[in-house]
Amino acid sequence: MPVLRKGRRDRDRAFRLALVAPSIAVLLLVGVFPLVYLIVVSFQNLTMSDTDTSFQGLLNYRLLLADARLWQSLLHTLVFIAVALPIELVLGLAMAQLFIERIPGRAVFVALLVLPVLVSPIVAGATWSLMFDNRFGPINQILGWFAGHPVSLLWTIKPELVYPAILVAEVWQWTPFMFLLLLAALAAVDRSQLEAAAIDGASWWRTFRQIVLPAIWPVMAVAILIRALDLFRLFDVVWALTKGGPGTMTETVSMFAYVRGFQQFETSYVAAVSLLIIVLLSTIVLWTLKRVELAR
Amino acid sequence: MVQASHGRMAAAFRRALLPALAIVSMAFSGTALAQSAAQRAADAAKKICAGKTITIVWEAGLQSLDPLNFSGPKWEQLTGCKVKVVEVPTAEMFTKIMQEYRAGTGAYDALNVIPAWMPDLVQAGALENLESYVDKYGYRAELKTIAPTYRDNQMTVNGKIYGFPDDGDVFLFYYRKDLFARPDLQKAFKAKFNYDLAPPKTWKQFDDIGSFLTEALKAEGIYGGSFFREPPYTMFMFQERFRVEGGKFFDAGTMKATVNSAVGVKVLTEMRNENRFMPPGVEKFGFVENLAVFLDGKSAMTISWPPYGRFAAGYLSEEKALAWVPKSKIAGKVGYALPPGGHPELAAGFALSVASTSKQKEAAYLFIQWLNSEEISLQRVQLPYALRDPFRDSHYTDKDYMAKWPDAKEYLAALGEGAKTGLLDLSLIQTDKYEEAIRQGISKLWAGEDPKKILDEVAKQWDEITQRVGLDKQKAVYNAWAAKGGAYPK
Repeated sequence: MPVLRKGRRDRDRAFRLALVAPSIAVLLLVGVFPLVYLIVVSFQNLTMSDTDTSFQGLLNYRLLLADARLWQSLLHTLVFIAVALPIELVLGLAMAQLFIERIPGRAVFVALLVLPVLVSPIVAGATWSLMFDNRFGPINQILGWFAGHPVSLLWTIKPELVYPAILVAEVWQWTPFMFLLLLAALAAVDRSQLEAAAIDGASWWRTFRQIVLPAIWPVMAVAILIRALDLFRLFDVVWALTKGGPGTMTETVSMFAYVRGFQQFETSYVAAVSLLIIVLLSTIVLWTLKRVELAR
Repeated sequence: MVQASHGRMAAAFRRALLPALAIVSMAFSGTALAQSAAQRAADAAKKICAGKTITIVWEAGLQSLDPLNFSGPKWEQLTGCKVKVVEVPTAEMFTKIMQEYRAGTGAYDALNVIPAWMPDLVQAGALENLESYVDKYGYRAELKTIAPTYRDNQMTVNGKIYGFPDDGDVFLFYYRKDLFARPDLQKAFKAKFNYDLAPPKTWKQFDDIGSFLTEALKAEGIYGGSFFREPPYTMFMFQERFRVEGGKFFDAGTMKATVNSAVGVKVLTEMRNENRFMPPGVEKFGFVENLAVFLDGKSAMTISWPPYGRFAAGYLSEEKALAWVPKSKIAGKVGYALPPGGHPELAAGFALSVASTSKQKEAAYLFIQWLNSEEISLQRVQLPYALRDPFRDSHYTDKDYMAKWPDAKEYLAALGEGAKTGLLDLSLIQTDKYEEAIRQGISKLWAGEDPKKILDEVAKQWDEITQRVGLDKQKAVYNAWAAKGGAYPK
């Protein structure tokens, strides 16, 4: 009897393995193989004109460390994250607080507010490029009404204006995403606890800090993580507005990788850059997940 | 004996027959040569391509209306060979061509390539050497009638033919001849500058005229000049002006970048200063924005590619595909000349090539020979919508073209002049990297950075790129380029 049970167990096990094998194969093919290949290519010197696949040691990694433009693009990316993310979070939370109450036309307003998220980022960028146009754009026109004379600010050219222009476009498009997630999280907060706090005379801030925030924190943390990762790969809006200019002043690390990889065909060098980005992002994600105890 | 008799007979027969054969053969070859290159290509394609499809990469937008509406259907009608057009935006053409070449799928048969890319594409192996096809299909004679600048500079790499110059891109100077002829302006200008108001021969004169006209025509809302200033366009203008003023891109001996010379700084400084007499926000002007201002009659001078002249003349205003072009308010008021310095930038252009990975190279070759031939190209450069500009000697003197609008003769004459003295775009291994450094520099210029600092940074980047490519390798390519007639003003 035990022998029979063991045989059946083995068959069950084999059957289960057979069921998951295709998925594992696909995952290896689309996930692990490209990563391994990326690592291999990063140690070669493949360029547009050079298809020599011999190994070049740490050549690309040495170049990468000395490439000021790469580190600047990384810095620009971090600046976008550091500025846009808190703004989107605070605005999204404020809007969610506003719309958590049952107000007339709530469903319609929520649907309208979420619309920017549905727009393709490159289309949003192109639209904002028109909005910021110095001659026909409404932004300068509105500023002109306040100033009392025509205003012709070059939003996408002058160094002092390019970051605000990009940030406005980015915040406009992605604040609704924060809003939507936080609205759902707020809706799930235990109403009885809020009512008890109100009866006890707790202030709004204390109620928010000690009841609402702990309740919505897991969702908020995930929202922050998703947006931070999104901002790390920021490309479309910046490309449409400034192409990374003036010079490389607004170039993000994604744009850097695109230009060097797909316009200039520095395949191996960009493989090394991509690996650096993967390592950086994986470290940050793992650390964050551990911090917010979501990875348990 | 018998053998000897047979030998004598054979010899007599050969003596009699060979000249006859030669005469017949010459007659046949004469007939063949009497055929046009277009006809030869079509006849040959009928045999090898009928029922098949060839794929050609073409610039997206108006340019590709040529193979879509005209040449593709006509070729199919003549040969039974279908043409599939892959439309690609200019900025992505190089990438797409290279990606396809690396993938090796053979998805593209024929290509439109910008001549400055040719060294890169040839070195990578993406283009087919066309020499043997040119001989096989007797096209060499017709290649000689392509205008000299294009023929001598945009066709070969390392002495071998890799593409047929097929688009006479050249910067032309457009000015409002009605304003230049106004007695009040002429008198005031002469009094101020002590020379006649006329199309400028130097950039100093351009600055004089531009600032004068802006001031004088302020009440009429007309600016002395306007240019496209977006970096990809201004890059070409800088390349032209830098060389016209005597600049050299590199030291031919050391291959060290010399773009940051005093000439370069002077050019950038003047370019920025000129914005003061141009419309506000000119720094953001692209092809269309500048065109709109010029056609609206708000600018007295501009420089651009040949279509500006046709759009300004307004003879294409009924064309549906050109509905986006603002209506010209200046038809009949535009004069044509070469830009100051007399050496216009050839600024991009297109050549027709065959992809080395094509599985139907011969059919692809025949199609591009037919497109590029005297007979067909003359029709193509006159298509109202397709933006292909005259590039053969015969195009500049064609009677039909000269009758398209009242000043068309002068327009074609100016283009013909440009085709003699035009300057080539810088073309090296990994040209785009060098160009990218200039483009970035120009965007910094409009942002207000110091010209000297900008050009020092450009030169530093150029030197780094050269080192990366390999100094000796790049030096050889640069010196070959610099030796071409159109590299520097003679």
